[in-house]
Amino acid sequence: MLTPSERERYDRQIMIGEIGQEGQEKLKRSRVVIAGAGGLGSLIAVYLTAAGIGMIRMIDHDQVALSNLNRQILHWEEDIGRNKVDSARKKLRSLNSGVEIEGITEIITEGNASELVNGCDVIVDAMDNLPTRYILNRCAIGKKIPFVHGAVGSFEGRVMTIIPGETACLGCMDRGPVPEEKFPVIGVAPAVIGSIQATEVIKYLLGIGKLLTNRLLVYDGLMTTFNEFTINKNPDCDQCGALMRRG
Amino acid sequence: MPVKVHIHTTHRQFTDGLEVVPVEGNTVGQCLSHLVKQFPGMEKALFAKKDKLLNIVEVYVNHTTAHPNELIKPVKDGDEIHLLVMLAGG
Repeated sequence: MLTPSERERYDRQIMIGEIGQEGQEKLKRSRVVIAGAGGLGSLIAVYLTAAGIGMIRMIDHDQVALSNLNRQILHWEEDIGRNKVDSARKKLRSLNSGVEIEGITEIITEGNASELVNGCDVIVDAMDNLPTRYILNRCAIGKKIPFVHGAVGSFEGRVMTIIPGETACLGCMDRGPVPEEKFPVIGVAPAVIGSIQATEVIKYLLGIGKLLTNRLLVYDGLMTTFNEFTINKNPDCDQCGALMRRG
Repeated sequence: MPVKVHIHTTHRQFTDGLEVVPVEGNTVGQCLSHLVKQFPGMEKALFAKKDKLLNIVEVYVNHTTAHPNELIKPVKDGDEIHLLVMLAGG
C-alpha cells in the first residue's frame, strides 16, 4: 500500500495509465541491483530512486576521483577519496528517504556475483569493463534474472535488455577478449544511456511497453542518431546456449 | 546499386571523413576488401590479421548482426553494412 505522502510524491507518474497506483505499488515492492556507481550507475540510480523503487543495491569497489566528476553526477568535489557507494547512498537518501539504498564496496567476481545479486528482480549493467559485464551476464542467466546492459564511449552508447532463456545475451555478441583501455567519455553520453536503462528497468518491473530484447539500440550523440540492430540468439553461445537448449 | 558501408565515427579519419562508402562484393569479406582497397588505413582499423576481424569490430548487414563468421555472409546490391566498435565504458 502507498502512504498518503507516497501518493503525493508519485502523483505525476501514477497519472500515467500504464503505471497507476497498482504499478507504483509494484515499483515499491521491487529490488534492483546496479552494478557500478560511475557515469551510468549515477544516472540509473537517480531516476530509479526518484521513481520509487523499493530497494536499490549499488555495487562498486572504487573511490571517487577528480577525473570522475565530468560524468559521475552522484559524486561531488567533497566526495573525492570516499567510497563511491557511500557517496551515492548519501545523495540518494536525500533525494528519496523512502527508498532503501544498500551499498556494497566489493569487486564483482565469478565467486561472489551470485551472492551479490541475491533476492533482486533486475540486474543493471553500469560497469566500466567487459570482463565484469560477462560475469554479470553469466550470473543473470544462471539465476534467471533479467539483465539490462548499457555501455558508453565518447559521445556514443548502447543498450540491450536480456531475458535469460528467452533472448540473446551479451555472450551471443562476444567475439573474444579485447584490450582494456582507458575510455574517453563525456557525461552527456551516460546521461542518455543511463536514462534508457532506467526506463527498461521500470518497463520490465511493470510488465509494460516493448523491451529492448534482441535489439541493440545504438546512440550516436555527435550525429544525434539512434540506430537499432537485431541481435540473434546464438545457439552455440557459451553463456546462454545451454539454457536455450534446455528451453 | 553498390553495397553501402556505414563507417564508424572513430574510423572516418581513414575514409577522408566519409560516413558512407559504396563498395562491391558478394560477401561481407569481399566488400570490406574493396573498402580497404579504397582506403588502406581501414585495414588496421578492422583486421587483426588477414581474414580475422579485430574482436572489437562488429558487423551488421541490413541492421542485423552478421556474427559469427561475418566475413562469409552473403550480401547483394543495395544492402547496407554497418561497422561498429564495441563499447566498454560506464
